[in-house]
Amino acid sequence: MNNSPKILVIDDDPDFRAAVTPILKSALYDVVMASNSQEAKEKIFAEKPDLILLDIMMDSLFDGFSLCHAIKTSAEFTDYKNTPIIFVSAVKEIAGSRFQFKGDEEGMVGPDDYIDKPVKPDDLLARIAKFLKK
Amino acid sequence: MAETPIILVIDDEEAMRDSCSMILTKDGFRAETAENGHIGLEKARELKPALALIDLKMPGLSGFEVLERIKDIDPAIIPIVITGYATVESAIEAMKKGAYDFLPKPFTPDELRIIVRRALERRKLAMEAESLRREKKLMEENFITMVSHQLRSPLVAIQQYFEVILAGMVGQVEDAQKGMILRARERLESLLHLINDWLDMARISRGQIVDKVKPLALEKLLEKQVEFMKPLAQEFKVRLELRPVEKTALVLGDEQSLEQVFSNLISNAIKYNKPGGSVIITLREEDSTLVADVADTGIGISREHLPLVFDQFYRVSRSEDQKIKGTGLGLAIAKKIVEAHNGTIQVTSEPGQGSTFSVRLPKAEPEGK
Repeated sequence: MNNSPKILVIDDDPDFRAAVTPILKSALYDVVMASNSQEAKEKIFAEKPDLILLDIMMDSLFDGFSLCHAIKTSAEFTDYKNTPIIFVSAVKEIAGSRFQFKGDEEGMVGPDDYIDKPVKPDDLLARIAKFLKK
Repeated sequence: MAETPIILVIDDEEAMRDSCSMILTKDGFRAETAENGHIGLEKARELKPALALIDLKMPGLSGFEVLERIKDIDPAIIPIVITGYATVESAIEAMKKGAYDFLPKPFTPDELRIIVRRALERRKLAMEAESLRREKKLMEENFITMVSHQLRSPLVAIQQYFEVILAGMVGQVEDAQKGMILRARERLESLLHLINDWLDMARISRGQIVDKVKPLALEKLLEKQVEFMKPLAQEFKVRLELRPVEKTALVLGDEQSLEQVFSNLISNAIKYNKPGGSVIITLREEDSTLVADVADTGIGISREHLPLVFDQFYRVSRSEDQKIKGTGLGLAIAKKIVEAHNGTIQVTSEPGQGSTFSVRLPKAEPEGK
């Protein structure tokens, strides 16, 4: 009996992954993890998550942006382009300019939602529920 | 840069266009021509030439007008004016208006070649300098972002654990434990504020502000801040008022930074006030500047402390101050931002009566042309 929605947490900080897991489990979600973009790609194909929590700055300044853009637009991810993505980041500004929420000026496709770290458990669960309830 | 430089010749004389075109093409440039100013500007917009040779005396749009407008199309286009030899004054006038050089008629092919070479060399240098400047700026900004990320990440991870513990998601928390974790969380928050403020101090520079300024209406910005601060004013039982202003001139400013300045001044004026007190904001013009005064009815600042308020880490001491959180960098940041706008920030104060902070910003010149 495994009907609970599956959430993929992509974050390079093991402490964040460890802290966010009990929050998601408390709402009975299945949780899978990835610590970088490459691992994330593999997990998306293998686990077919229902929703993705994505950190913006991992190995480089922009890899969260790039991964998000790839999932939403590239042929490789065409089966997953409607998977909701929530950015979870402690950085609100990139290169001096305030981070753009939906669609970057360079034509990047942005996430479906954005939450500041540290996340409030209730807030995180409410936003996830908004996407996952039918 | 293997690309062939485009040279645009704007001249109403056909013979002139043809001969310039022939010489330049023979030398390996791509020559484009226009028989009047309007077509010239259109082609400049479309082709983004490296150089533009502009005849000063043309029917219709004059060479001077073309010279001025071409700068707006692309400041990297190097304009050279062509003048009849009897009009040296107009050549000088053109140089003042931004022409790189002038070519008196009649000229020999070699004279044309020398001037074109020199102008291209100059353009190359200018473009290299510009790209270096951009690269350096980006590196600095990325560096600050990386530092910010690395300083904040561990603290945020700790806060995240606290959030989960406090939510009771990893077992029951007793009241005494909860109390300590709440205190710890608060201390972390202050540390994060301090890091943010510190990074702001490092990030704000004249160059960065100048790149972002545009004409903006200060009264609109103040209205927004006042609206935003109303809950805080209510909490401290302070009356917050923006005196209605007649239409004032625009200032040249970076909106986000100026919001930071006034948000800081207004929130200080509220927090360092007394219950039943007021914060009055007025806007007035003074010569070539616009002045915003933020006046409070708070404790005031003593004369000997007045010169120190804009120093980093200076805070007005006051026995019941503990409830007012701050890093002591707010006014230092405000001063840095205002000065990066070529403005000034000053304070006058009467101990026991209140203080007035005045921000003076240069008006946006309504370009005299």
